[in-house]
Amino acid sequence: MSGFPWLTVVLVLPVGGAILLQMLPRRASAAIKGWTVLIATAEAVLVAMVVYQVATGPAQGACPGGPASRCAAISLMPLPMHLQEQANWITSIGASYHLGVDGVSAWILALNAGVFLLGALVISRQTTERLKLFCGLLLITETATTGVLLSLDLLLFYLFWEGMLVPLYFLLAFYGNENRVRATLKFVIYTAAGSLLMLLAIIYLHFATPGTGPSGSFDLETLLQHPIGAQTGVPLPFTSIPTLTPMMWAFLAFAVAFAIKLPIVPFHTWLPDLYESAPTPALVFFAGVVSKMGAYGLIRFAITLFSGPVHQLQPLLVALAVLSIIYGALMALSERDIKRIVAYASISHLGFIALGIFSLDQNGINGAIIQIVNHGIIIAGLFLVAGMIEARTGTRDIREMAGLEKRMPWLYALFLVITLGSLGLPGTNSFVGEVTIMLGAFQYFWLLAVLAGGGVVLAAWYMLRLHQGLMHDPETPRVSAVRDIRLREGLVLAPLAALVIFLGVYPHPIGAVSSQAVPAYVTVADVSQAQASVSFVPVGSDR
Amino acid sequence: MSLLAGLPLATATPGGGDLIGLLPEVIAAGGFLLLMLADLVVPPERRTWLAAFSALVLLGALGVSLWGWFDAGAAGRTVYFGAYAYDRLSAFTNCVILVTSLLSVTISPGYLNRRGLHFGEYYALLMAATVGMMLLAGAASLMVIFLAIELLSISLYILSGFSRNEERSQEAAVKYLLLGSFASAFLLFGMALVYGETGHTQLVQIASALNRSGPLDPLLVGGVILVFVGFAFKVSAAPFHFWTPDVYQGAPTSVTAFMSVATKVAAFAVLIRVFDYAFAADYSRWSPVVIAVAIISMVVGNLAALTQTSVKRMLAYSGIAQAGYILIGVAVGVGNPLGVQGALYYLAAYALTNLGAFAVVTVMTRRGEDMDSYDHLRGLWFRRPYVAVAMGFFLLSLGGFPLTAGFFGKFLVFAAAIEGHNVALAMWGIATSAVSIFYYLRVAILMFQRPAEEERAYQWPRTGLAGGSVLLATAAGTLILGTAVPLVFTVAQLAQAGTIPGAT
Repeated sequence: MSGFPWLTVVLVLPVGGAILLQMLPRRASAAIKGWTVLIATAEAVLVAMVVYQVATGPAQGACPGGPASRCAAISLMPLPMHLQEQANWITSIGASYHLGVDGVSAWILALNAGVFLLGALVISRQTTERLKLFCGLLLITETATTGVLLSLDLLLFYLFWEGMLVPLYFLLAFYGNENRVRATLKFVIYTAAGSLLMLLAIIYLHFATPGTGPSGSFDLETLLQHPIGAQTGVPLPFTSIPTLTPMMWAFLAFAVAFAIKLPIVPFHTWLPDLYESAPTPALVFFAGVVSKMGAYGLIRFAITLFSGPVHQLQPLLVALAVLSIIYGALMALSERDIKRIVAYASISHLGFIALGIFSLDQNGINGAIIQIVNHGIIIAGLFLVAGMIEARTGTRDIREMAGLEKRMPWLYALFLVITLGSLGLPGTNSFVGEVTIMLGAFQYFWLLAVLAGGGVVLAAWYMLRLHQGLMHDPETPRVSAVRDIRLREGLVLAPLAALVIFLGVYPHPIGAVSSQAVPAYVTVADVSQAQASVSFVPVGSDR
Repeated sequence: MSLLAGLPLATATPGGGDLIGLLPEVIAAGGFLLLMLADLVVPPERRTWLAAFSALVLLGALGVSLWGWFDAGAAGRTVYFGAYAYDRLSAFTNCVILVTSLLSVTISPGYLNRRGLHFGEYYALLMAATVGMMLLAGAASLMVIFLAIELLSISLYILSGFSRNEERSQEAAVKYLLLGSFASAFLLFGMALVYGETGHTQLVQIASALNRSGPLDPLLVGGVILVFVGFAFKVSAAPFHFWTPDVYQGAPTSVTAFMSVATKVAAFAVLIRVFDYAFAADYSRWSPVVIAVAIISMVVGNLAALTQTSVKRMLAYSGIAQAGYILIGVAVGVGNPLGVQGALYYLAAYALTNLGAFAVVTVMTRRGEDMDSYDHLRGLWFRRPYVAVAMGFFLLSLGGFPLTAGFFGKFLVFAAAIEGHNVALAMWGIATSAVSIFYYLRVAILMFQRPAEEERAYQWPRTGLAGGSVLLATAAGTLILGTAVPLVFTVAQLAQAGTIPGAT
């Protein structure tokens, strides 16, 4: 499989499909949807091949077209990459077109392809205005998220990261309920502000990294090979207390950009409004994939490039992660709107992922990757169910609905599996991820595992409250005329429910692939820990 | 020659090689004279011929300028006794100015016909302004700078009042004239002070005189600051921007499109040449002023643009903000090549993008009136989908989204600021960029919303071949500058390296 630029094909296939889509006549809605599903399926198949290659093949650089010296450099890299591709781009400032995939990104890539396929399948031909535009934007978003997952060059990564906002902006602003424009603007400005800060930090890294040649470099691997040495902060006036070092500021810029996307409390305020107003197909891949990009960025870039600052700020980061878990859970308990409950539950679950990452422990990061995939599956399922219920009853207020069990037995069964997965019952996929994360958190500080365990208890409370409230209890007038889900809808939900159980009893495929890469990340994150801790000595103390 | 021989200033006879340095300007000036004459014989209904002739002249000048890039070579030289710089900076800016001029001429006939303003003088004046801008970009003497600024300004004063029956256009012209004369006075006074301190009008000699000069001289600093104020007016940087929104809105849109970009390119070229090269030794004294003006422009421009309801006014305030971003590159450009390179890249990107955005406004124009309110833009997607997509693309580029020219412009000037150890300046840029996303995207979203009832009935003008090709060219340029970055960035690097007077 080496030699041929597979990753480029994976990258451009959706956007190429979106361009060809424009040739189809506007009225041919069946053809438009069929083409979109076809492209998304082809992408999923290609990604499956890539994941297979990562799981079985040796890590090495392919670098077609690149000079031999670059290839030699690639073999020295600290992170084991597969299927690398590199080509010149802006040579004079050291930016290149550099793609690669490894055990960390492989399954997230698969989740990406799968969730977009799901999003394409659930588009309603009848009720979606301007279907061609919607499908085109969906495919363009897929290319952007794929680019984020594949880029090994910081500038290229930034292009996709920020570029992702453009199709999302139009998707979320054109479709959805009446509050959408406001919610979308809030989201876009929030995330763009964070991203711009990250851009500054990227430029800073470019100039501050020593020994990367006259023009500097934006390449992740080159930057990792030339770590920035110990830095000291400038003492605050009239004291000997040092301010944060430039490197810590740069890390904070990265961390804020990713924390907004993830989101970690207190950067979460855009999320409930947006989830409430977005249309279901967009929501499926937005909640399923886009929010995971923040977690992925933290693993791939934040903890590797900034190993020193990460360790220094670890107590703060971990505390915020635990705060997200608890706060999200409490808010989920206090909401009445299905979509908002799921939104806050999502914040709580994403807090687990952040906790795993910031534990900086092999188990923790491994669990975070497993949980990224698991949560993508579960949240997509929950929003699909919420969308189906809303479409039938015309409301999302749980006080107006009860007793759906008798009206919708099939939905009841599938929803139950997904609910149990969401609250982390043993035998479902979330249990595996959360336990692994808690192993990592326990290594760092036992109290964290206890608090996170409290989050699991709360999760059981709010998920069962949602499920029981909707399904059991005597029927309300709203639900008296409701019909059960159709076969087509069932076929979309059933694979998700099956995956929840399958990955719960046999998580090996994901864990095996991610655990072959994670040790390298932990090693990279630990290398300069000792060196960095020296730099935190107050400046005045050496006199 | 015999006339000049007796004068003390003609110490040497300029050779034939000197004319080559001015050839693009000479061609355009000749075109200007011929256009004046042709207007007398061309019948009114055939005035499109004048546009075609202008385009031909501009293409010729563009060809010569491209050739001049290679002919001038890496080092470049001055011609006509150090009055004019024949180097890659002037070749680069000449090309950008000529391309914008060419695109403006292309959109003009359709627009002017709809507005009922199709007169022959228009093309002559546009050509005169183009000559002034090219002279300004290459000027290497304070006198030439002043003459070039006056040539371009007077042409633009008339052009902005070209809609003779419209009060707004008249007001724009008067406002521009009064404030412009004021700025010219500042500029001239500043030049006098600089001349008084250094004893030279030629930039090369001023640069070496400044290198020698010892202690700080308040008169010289005052002169440098006054010169900067004069230029800042031309690039419409805050707080010298008060004319901009009214003039941009009042002038015919094709004129606004041209002057919003070409004037900026020319004025920034001379700003770079004078400040980052000639006054480089004085860097520590003028840079705080430039930095302050850059920050004020970014803040004022972006905040004021938030509340606009007219596309032309919004683009005017956005232009003020963009001037602030380009000023970042100028402010940190001494001893930091990336600063000037970033500013030049930004100029090329801004020229294409902003011209495209104004071209959209021209193709939307109905008979007799501009359609530049946000309400008119609403639902553009349903009537002119390609125009709407192009406009969306331009707005994203102005907002600095990736894969557009605007992103790399911003990226390079921010990188230059960080390279110049001025992270705070970059932070101001970042913060104001985040604000700007709001108003650019607000307009973008309007185009895709359902139009109001009364607008649906109206038959919109056809985009036409000329308008369509301009939109296509600017959109393609914006995309190329946003993806195939090395193409233009290499050119900007070479232009920066070969500027006269060389970096000290």
